[in-house]
Amino acid sequence: MKKLRVLLVDDEIMIREGFKRLFDWEAHDCEVVGEAADGMEALSRIDTLRPDIVIMDINIPIMNGLKVIQLSRMKHPNTAFVIVSGYDDFSYCREALRLQITDYILKPVNYEEFGTCIDNLKISLFEQRVSAAEEPEKQEERTITGITRYLQEHLAEEISLSVLAEQFHLNPQYISQLFKSEIGVNFLAYLTNIRMEKAKKLLLSTSLSIAEVAEQAGYGDYRVFTKVFKKSEGITPSQYRRDFLEETGADSF
Amino acid sequence: MLRMEIALFIVLAFVACVYFSAGRKNTPLHRTFSALLIVVLIHLALDGVTVYTVHHLETVPRFLNDAVHRLFLGSMVLVIYLFYQYIAILVEEETGKPRRLDWPARIFLAVAELGNVLRPISYTVTPEGNYSSGLYMLVPYWGVTFYLLLCAGLLAVNWKQIDRKKKLAIGAALLIEVTVSAMQWLNHTWLINGMGITLMTLSFYLTLENPDILRAELTEQKMSMLYLKSQVNPHFLYNTLDTIRIQAQLNGDKKVADLLMRLVDFFRLSVKVDRPMVSLDDELELLEAYMELMCYRYPELQCEYDIDPDLGGMKVPNFILQPIVENSLLHGLKNKGYRGEIRISARKAPDHRMEILVCDTGSGFAEGKKVAIDQMLLTYAKQAAKLTGNSIGILNVQKRIKLLCGREYGLSYTENPTGGVTAHLLLPMKEDMQ
Repeated sequence: MKKLRVLLVDDEIMIREGFKRLFDWEAHDCEVVGEAADGMEALSRIDTLRPDIVIMDINIPIMNGLKVIQLSRMKHPNTAFVIVSGYDDFSYCREALRLQITDYILKPVNYEEFGTCIDNLKISLFEQRVSAAEEPEKQEERTITGITRYLQEHLAEEISLSVLAEQFHLNPQYISQLFKSEIGVNFLAYLTNIRMEKAKKLLLSTSLSIAEVAEQAGYGDYRVFTKVFKKSEGITPSQYRRDFLEETGADSF
Repeated sequence: MLRMEIALFIVLAFVACVYFSAGRKNTPLHRTFSALLIVVLIHLALDGVTVYTVHHLETVPRFLNDAVHRLFLGSMVLVIYLFYQYIAILVEEETGKPRRLDWPARIFLAVAELGNVLRPISYTVTPEGNYSSGLYMLVPYWGVTFYLLLCAGLLAVNWKQIDRKKKLAIGAALLIEVTVSAMQWLNHTWLINGMGITLMTLSFYLTLENPDILRAELTEQKMSMLYLKSQVNPHFLYNTLDTIRIQAQLNGDKKVADLLMRLVDFFRLSVKVDRPMVSLDDELELLEAYMELMCYRYPELQCEYDIDPDLGGMKVPNFILQPIVENSLLHGLKNKGYRGEIRISARKAPDHRMEILVCDTGSGFAEGKKVAIDQMLLTYAKQAAKLTGNSIGILNVQKRIKLLCGREYGLSYTENPTGGVTAHLLLPMKEDMQ
């Protein structure tokens, strides 16, 4: 898997320096290829550098970050954006969610936890590749696509590398390497990610209790689920559900 | 006739007492009204004196009679001049246009006063009563007419730009004064000048200088100052702190970076006050940020949590734990040099209730303090909303729990057998959405 190219956009030099030097890009197979301090500069850098990931502040001079994403989307549909903002305002969140392959993190940025965010983006990029390609050419691609499809269908069950190994008649170490080389994240990060995605979908589209959501997302103990959810989303599952319903003005169940 | 002057004097003296005892802003407008009140009082006193002396021409020496009459008319011109001044300042405040007629008005005042002092004076005796006459009064009366015309002109020119209530007050006052002056002009023996001036002053007092209105203005001003103080943009605060944090981490100072991160967390969480109820998890997150910073500042301070995991999603009133813990620190552990422990526990209680305990190993209640606190928490509804003071935090917590959860819930304190106190927060076990 080739290194992902990263563009940093923030009007404050210290924030860009922080991202550049305090997060271990090397360990996450990424490299920072450029920086921009305002909306116009960001647009032109995206055009010339063609980054895979753009770390984007919303409140920047000349043109705001959301506008930059909207405009770049048309020309570069495969670029992933991470919105970094001090405004923990759900209206921004909601607009960001409409723009695909966008993640949203809040300032202050904890560089130790930022890795999860990069992992999520890699998974989104991978899923986009899978759905775009008709039939994978390489054998590895076919295998990993099969494994991820199996995982999606058996989320509620107990899954481990050895279960997968048995199912696909492969060596567990080989599967682990496959995740790293094809998606760029380790197996556990991938599993947690798709479990969280499933949980979020269930929280918003059903009236299942937190315990039931936890179970369907593969967590026997809903307390563990709540803890993992909080770590990944920043808020508890019930809060996530309530925030969304409050914002959309829906009646509570 | 003298009775009317005495009555008017008493009424205005009362008004002056009320006005001077109330708080007001120190503006040109209020200063002018203060001067006006004093001059009107002097004028009314002179009015009464002249009414007496003019009817006792034989017994009162001529020079004394002349002197009080000249003073009386002189003060009248001054009163009308101050009326004009008051209206001119008011119009300036309302429209923002500078006063241009101050100098002509002042020169006219000097001329009128001079004429009043120098021109001859005589007395007319009639069966209905006596009055002073002669050329001396001509200048002051023209002065009054001049100022009233100026006022009417100012009002007419700026009619549209003046607040409706204010222009009606001024208009009514002018109308009264003109009517009374005209009647006095036609009936020399009536001697009702004092009435017009009193009514005019009262009309201003009641509509524009009312102590209630002034107090409201003053409070509004104080409130807006408070508001401005609290309006330091929180984003500025935590964006700046965040920049400093990153710099610290770039300099390799992880400890400072972590502390700043917690401080940013604390500010960010504590400005989220728009919701009346939050989850216990949210409350604990804010408290953890606060306690981590406090424990760093006082290394011998320790904090323990013992939270029933089932209670994390329960709804509690926003911002109730931090004030309680702060109270324990400031009134308990501070006295022991911040050496000790705070233990926060949350557990289920019977009948769908839960109890949050904040237990400290501090100095405990001072003599008699426990009774006072118990009493205050018991009679929370009767306690005035305080803006400052020692118990504001816990009183506020008590009021909000009672209001948001019901009167059967609330805050109470017990003394620990081993020293220190424990705050008990009894709350409903309520989780919304499910």
